[in-house]
Amino acid sequence: MFGYYFKLGVRSLRRNPALTALMVLTLAIGVAASVSTLTILHVMSGDPIPTKSDRLFVPLVDNGPVDGYNPGDEPNDRQLSYKDAMAVLNSKMGERRTVMYSVFSAVEPARKDIGAFNTSGLAPTHDFFAMFDVPMVYGQVWGEQEDRSGADVVVLTRTLAEKLFGNVNPVGQRIRIMGQTFQIIGVADKWEPLPRYYKVIGAGKFASQDEFYIPFNSAIRHEAGHNGSMNCSSRRDPGFQALLDSECTWLQAWFELKSSADRAELQNWIDSYASEQHKLGRLKRNAPNKLYNVMEWLEYMKVVGNDNKLSAWLAFGFLLLCLVNTIGLLLAKFSVRAPEVGVRRALGASRKEIFHQFLIETGVVGLVGGGLGLLLAFGALGLIAMQSKAMATVAHMDWKMLGFTFIMSVSAAVVAGLLPTWRACNITPAVQLKSQ
Amino acid sequence: MEFRPIFSALLRNKTGAILVAVQVAISMAILANALHIVNVRQAVAARPSGVEDEASVFYMNVRNLATMGPEEQSATQKREAAALRAVPGIVSVANVSQIPLTRNGSTNSVAIDRKQVNETANAAFYVSPDSLVKTWGLKVVDGRDFKPEEVREIDIQTSQDFPPVVMITKALADKAYPGQSAVGKPLFFGTGEGARETRIIGVVERLQSQQAQVGVYGEYSTIIPVRMLGFPGTVYTIRAEKGQRDRVMKEAEQAIRAISPMPVILESKTLTNARTERYRADMAMSWMLITVSVLLLLITASGVVGMASLWVQQRRKQIGVRRALGARRTDILRYFITENFMITSCGVVAGVLGAIGLNQFLVATLELEKLPIPYLVSGSVVFWALGVLAVYGPAWRAASISPAMATRTA
Repeated sequence: MFGYYFKLGVRSLRRNPALTALMVLTLAIGVAASVSTLTILHVMSGDPIPTKSDRLFVPLVDNGPVDGYNPGDEPNDRQLSYKDAMAVLNSKMGERRTVMYSVFSAVEPARKDIGAFNTSGLAPTHDFFAMFDVPMVYGQVWGEQEDRSGADVVVLTRTLAEKLFGNVNPVGQRIRIMGQTFQIIGVADKWEPLPRYYKVIGAGKFASQDEFYIPFNSAIRHEAGHNGSMNCSSRRDPGFQALLDSECTWLQAWFELKSSADRAELQNWIDSYASEQHKLGRLKRNAPNKLYNVMEWLEYMKVVGNDNKLSAWLAFGFLLLCLVNTIGLLLAKFSVRAPEVGVRRALGASRKEIFHQFLIETGVVGLVGGGLGLLLAFGALGLIAMQSKAMATVAHMDWKMLGFTFIMSVSAAVVAGLLPTWRACNITPAVQLKSQ
Repeated sequence: MEFRPIFSALLRNKTGAILVAVQVAISMAILANALHIVNVRQAVAARPSGVEDEASVFYMNVRNLATMGPEEQSATQKREAAALRAVPGIVSVANVSQIPLTRNGSTNSVAIDRKQVNETANAAFYVSPDSLVKTWGLKVVDGRDFKPEEVREIDIQTSQDFPPVVMITKALADKAYPGQSAVGKPLFFGTGEGARETRIIGVVERLQSQQAQVGVYGEYSTIIPVRMLGFPGTVYTIRAEKGQRDRVMKEAEQAIRAISPMPVILESKTLTNARTERYRADMAMSWMLITVSVLLLLITASGVVGMASLWVQQRRKQIGVRRALGARRTDILRYFITENFMITSCGVVAGVLGAIGLNQFLVATLELEKLPIPYLVSGSVVFWALGVLAVYGPAWRAASISPAMATRTA
């Protein structure tokens, strides 16, 4: 009977074209609005590294001044000073650990036909690549040796490598960055985790990508300026060495643990480190020391903006309105068919059968609405993507969302159809037959 | 009026009426909040930056690839500024550390007393050896602009020097020295022992910070008269003659390239562009909300039309009887419009409560502002009007039903 009822449903779409069109359109608009906002929310708040997100930790100690501090206040900053970052690197805790900062520099290609240009890069330690699963196309990353000596080696991203050298393997070539000659030892594949969780603070969270990677110590050795936010609670002396000695916070550090169960051990380490520093006269606030895994960090940093949450709430309010509207329209559509129901019931159809028929019919409406809604959602996402580069990277649909759209649309229609259908199958056949 | 019979008729067939009322309530709750957010966002994006005639102003980032000592850098900056001033169509040029609305630059905590523990404010830190008052057209409301002899050259790599004078915005002056003139008073950069003391010599009416935050924090700015050396790049902000900006932008780049012995990296942008980018999210949000609001109204209207048509369809015979018994067309018309008005009113009342509830939820979870009463009033008026307009078509069809209908079956 399902196939037959389905066919009937498709036919009845034509029976009252204006009403049906209105219904399908209402449903489609509601679905499109909620799906497009949900897609953006889904991309923004998704787990960027599902296999490791509970094993990667950001350590945070509060080195702010004790004046004006009350226990329980927010920490002075969410980054680390050079001193604390070095303690993280030398801690030997966990499987791996890394410290990084962003640099911004002029790149001078060897080829004369491309002029020099500004680009941004990252200066991490070598564990960075393994910790965040950075895929490589050519060559390899640097090791502990290069980290220690601050060697002038560079890993390019594929985008920059292709811009500078075209489609060939550039490993072994040289390139001038920050006025220094660096040797290219590897090329990382296009790798754009969304959000850019490994370094949320500083550059944009969604659009910007680092174009090259140089060893942390190399950047320090060349006194590469920090590109991003820096918080200095007290005055520091001029010069780069003074910055390293200061309490200014500007570095991002990460731990990778063998398993999330080792978290307590890491917490112990950071607590004992902080109390030791407190005894030495640093970390005067004696504030609680924090560890954040990837998802906790994204939440803490408010990576998903309030605007996106607002849009999602709004879209659901809108979908609710569309549902109520569809209930009304279905009620109208079905009520004209009371005589038909009367005849079927009189000829022996059970209420259950009528219920099935009308529910399948609403399912058909939902299917058509879903199809149209999907088209509208693609249009809406396209419009949103045109707003900015950052939005373009988050406004795209994946198969999961595609399937979800259809399921949502059909179930929305079926939910909306419940009341009208129930009313339709409660029709008394005698009354309907008599009036005919 | 026939309120009572309409009301009892409604009570006999509640479902449809409830559905319409619920639709009105939901869309009104959303619409009032959405329009409120749109207005707030538009107002934020329309705030003046303090720069007069933004459309004529642009800025240029010049990065020399050669590494230079401080003397050489100072000479280069002066040469570049002179070359820019020679470009026809350029009114004024200033070397500056940061540009309002670009979200890139530094702030400093400032205090009015060295012994102060907590800062008075966190203020944007504009550094310029030229007159920003002239180039940006800032209005000096108290005191005076810097004199050329007050400008210092400071190499940030080696020097701890700091100028003794500062200009601040009126918002900052009101915060630091409420109810009195700030001119001649001290302002400390930083707090505690290491704080740098300066004296306020002038107050400008307005200059937003580079972040242009919402609220008064975006209006706290300081300007110090310094040529800063030791940074890899230099930013020039340039005012062109009215309508000449785009041509001047190209010629300014050529002028810099012509006098640079080494290749330079140049990036120019207009202030209009910076403003668009700063408020892009706000504008996108308000357009989305406007779209949603229009759709809300359309869908609600379609719901009203759909239900009213259904009722007219169901009551054809009764309408015929009423007409046969002497009711005029206007009576029928009035019946449906009154009926709709009653339903819409229930929806509007629920909508007002819903709008307040939704707003409280948004205030609590998403830190939005409270909904002012006028939005509720105008929202109610909009939905009453919408209801009457939407029901007019079906009601007119009902009124056109012939009295002869009474004599027919079904």
